[in-house]
Amino acid sequence: MGEGATAVMSGLTFDLEKLNQTYHMFNDMAAETVPGEDESIFQFSAKDNLCTKDLQARAGSRILEGYRPPFDATAVARLRSAGGVLLGKTNMDEFGFGTFGTNSGYQVPLNPFDLKRACGGSSAGAACAASVIPGHLALGVSTGGSISCPASFCGVFGLTPTYGRVSRYGLIDYGNSLDKIGLLTMDVGHLRRFLPIISGADPRDPTSCAQPPLELDAEVRRVVIPEDSLNGVDGDVLETFQTAIEHLSHMGIEVTTMPMPALRFALPAYYVLATSEASTNLARYCGMRYGERNEDYNQHFDPYFSKTRSRYLGQEAKRRVLLGTFTRMVGFRDRYYMKALATRELVISEYAQAFEEHDLVLTPTMPFLPPLFADIEGMSPLDTYKADGLTVPPNLAGLPHLSAPCGYVDGVPVGMQFVSPHWTEGRLVTMAESWNGAHPPMRPEVIL
Amino acid sequence: MDIETVRNVAKLARLELSDEELQTFCNDLNDILEYLSMLDEAPDVECFGFNPIPVADVLREDEVGYDVDVDSLREMLTTYQGWVRGPRLS
Amino acid sequence: MKIGLEVHVQLPTRSKLFCSCATSAEEPNTAICPTCLGLPGSRPVLNRRALELGLTIARMMECEVPDATWFTRKTYFYPDLPRHFQITQFDSPIGERGQFILDGKKIRIRRVHLEDDPGRVRRVGKTGEEVSLIDYNRSGIPLVEIVTEPDITSPSEARRFVTELLKELRHVVGVQADGESSVRADCNISVAEERVEVKNVQGLRNIERALKYEAVRQVKLLKAKRPVLRETRRFEEGRGVTLPARKKEFEEDYGYIGEPDLGVFHIRAMADALEIREGPMETMVRLVDKHGVQETVARQIVSTSMSLASLFERLAVDVGSDAAITWVTGPITASWSKLEPRLDEVENEVVAAIISTTSGKMSDVEGRMRIEALAEGRDLETIQAPEGDIIDMVESFLDDNPELVKDFQDNEKAANRAIGQIMQATKGSYSSRDVVAAVMSALRKRI
Repeated sequence: MGEGATAVMSGLTFDLEKLNQTYHMFNDMAAETVPGEDESIFQFSAKDNLCTKDLQARAGSRILEGYRPPFDATAVARLRSAGGVLLGKTNMDEFGFGTFGTNSGYQVPLNPFDLKRACGGSSAGAACAASVIPGHLALGVSTGGSISCPASFCGVFGLTPTYGRVSRYGLIDYGNSLDKIGLLTMDVGHLRRFLPIISGADPRDPTSCAQPPLELDAEVRRVVIPEDSLNGVDGDVLETFQTAIEHLSHMGIEVTTMPMPALRFALPAYYVLATSEASTNLARYCGMRYGERNEDYNQHFDPYFSKTRSRYLGQEAKRRVLLGTFTRMVGFRDRYYMKALATRELVISEYAQAFEEHDLVLTPTMPFLPPLFADIEGMSPLDTYKADGLTVPPNLAGLPHLSAPCGYVDGVPVGMQFVSPHWTEGRLVTMAESWNGAHPPMRPEVIL
Repeated sequence: MDIETVRNVAKLARLELSDEELQTFCNDLNDILEYLSMLDEAPDVECFGFNPIPVADVLREDEVGYDVDVDSLREMLTTYQGWVRGPRLS
Repeated sequence: MKIGLEVHVQLPTRSKLFCSCATSAEEPNTAICPTCLGLPGSRPVLNRRALELGLTIARMMECEVPDATWFTRKTYFYPDLPRHFQITQFDSPIGERGQFILDGKKIRIRRVHLEDDPGRVRRVGKTGEEVSLIDYNRSGIPLVEIVTEPDITSPSEARRFVTELLKELRHVVGVQADGESSVRADCNISVAEERVEVKNVQGLRNIERALKYEAVRQVKLLKAKRPVLRETRRFEEGRGVTLPARKKEFEEDYGYIGEPDLGVFHIRAMADALEIREGPMETMVRLVDKHGVQETVARQIVSTSMSLASLFERLAVDVGSDAAITWVTGPITASWSKLEPRLDEVENEVVAAIISTTSGKMSDVEGRMRIEALAEGRDLETIQAPEGDIIDMVESFLDDNPELVKDFQDNEKAANRAIGQIMQATKGSYSSRDVVAAVMSALRKRI
């Protein structure tokens, strides 16, 4: 090899450098990769917030420039020991703070179905790679919808397991009570093959030690749509979604609706918890020990820290740090932080009720088509937050969910999202496989 | 939330913001906080937890061990006679 | 005067609170890992032993232990704190509403909780321009924080409280605190209404000094009819004064949130299952109440050693309290340094010797000599014979020198002649103490 990395899968060879020049999915790539002649060897990518020994882990942030972790994230280590070869680190919104992949401190990935459109975020590069590279497996991370959203926009399957199913050791934190590592791929068979590999208790992450064994064989018969969930969904997305519901009925799945009024509190509760936790997690980035260091130690620590942070953190990171610092301050903590914790319990029990009679909860994944970059510029931060209205509820509740490509509008993909009870990823894998059998996703035309 | 509050929160979070940035963030945050006030309408629930699933009693035994090579960690750090360098305290 | 203390003591564990780095390391930054350096992607995992030790302390102080506990992030910025949040306990301490009996007085304990220590920081450079140098060996060391109610009424009582607390902790959980380098306290003191906190005072001596200085300062202010400000001060060891902590432009707000990486811990059952060793304080109280020992004597016995106290209690049952006090404070204390390490082996024989003496089967001198012999580990078989020999030898020497007995009546120093001669004759096969004891006893019998 030597001359830059290539992706070899399904008998096709791709020059990664060239692919990346078109799509910007990677922000750091392996210098050399093993050609995939051996069946047991496979290639994968990891989102940039997963620690990897041989490549930088910058979580899409300039403040982590040059950080080469001295250890592998458990998910990465487990894939490697199963024969995985790491191709590269995928671009993302800084620390996961975004819905379109546009808040990256590095390059912004372009949608494989229309280069003028966004990939979705925050696992933008992961979805892009999964869409463009045949047979590719991408490790993504979701806090509030960062797997579902880009999976939907890039026309791939995106599986977010139950909170705690996959060890977070080696994951650069956004919100520790919300972060989940999952899979993005066009190849539905990868879900069954690789989910068991990355799952399982890990003594280095206590939250992974509560899980029951992974059970992949399951049946899906009854699916329910929360009544209010379709309000605010664009007409073209809604139409595609309605067609998909008809297809599900033809597959013998009963689709009904029910009121789930508590779900509307999920989005505000999520933004309070996620930013509260994030603002403490980002406190460590201050120009000491790793990442950007200005090394002008001859100044008081307050300006030293403030200067480094102000210079290298992006706008959205600053906004969320401000919001999260405010919501846990004396005088506001009860109204925001504590109330959000209680509201999460409310949302969890709302879902539990739905699951008494139904196997899965179903909604469209995103309320609109992958937006044009030009349109994103006109959106306010609050508009962007509200775009997560359908992906946030299961994420807040730690429930496993799957975004599956369910149709296309003018050649651009639309996704639907299934949510299942804690620890029942098997229902989602089964659902993905049977859907894929009847309605396999379209591949984008790869431009080199 | 007025601009002074934003200035204070920024200090607390160790962010140095220009007047222009302060104003922008003040507007954004007011928008967002108004939206978040929807939480006031959510019914009160007695219980709360810090995780969406129960995580309980995960402990490690009191044994010394190093997963990651200490020398490689020391190489990452900027040191002076083995001590990690940092800014002034006063 | 009201004083409340927040005492921080290191727990005696092998590894740190949230990672498996060693708690003892010589060279700076040699016991470090991603977790205690706060590297992105690292996580904490709680040390079982640290939790058990914390619970033992909570129980020792008779605290209420809740069903479950959890940890909290306390966010603030300082160069020695790697994550810029400390993992501590805010709304769920492992123990609450306990007490500590100090010299018969109840000091209420508000709470006991666990937390990790930041790194050690050194200031280097010109005064006023010092940069910081940090040793992260210290980062993540497990601490227990013990918070009292303001029940302490003087600086010297505060010092006594910490001294006695450390004694208990040393005995009950094996804390290695030496009183000066390994104990730290935040001291709250109010002479009148307003409370002043003196932060981060290192060591017993400084705790008392800082409080004394602060008490005098507050009294002076009040006399001059000037207000005492409610504030945080720091203690400058060199000059022995408290100074206002650097005024910040704004108030630091710790923004407490739950630590989501650790989960909760069901500690009630864990605490109930712990076996708690009795501390010196409790033993002392029992020696006084049950055995009628004077408090000063009881304190002396207990502070000498807890095994001396338990030997006393055994003797008190066998020979009565009075005789037990005489023997324990006399011959046993005299030989204690040698006896203690051998006690497991010879305790029964020591007790037997004292029983023989008090029942008149053995003379006091013989009893004392036997205890010395046991303490020194001299062969008991061979000691039997020489013991008889030396008494015979002394008797026959006195038979031969009857004038010595008369001289002894006038001046006890006369005994020295006999002692010197017998020492010479036996060429050091008996210790001078044995010879002295035998001569003195024989002489006294003859007058």
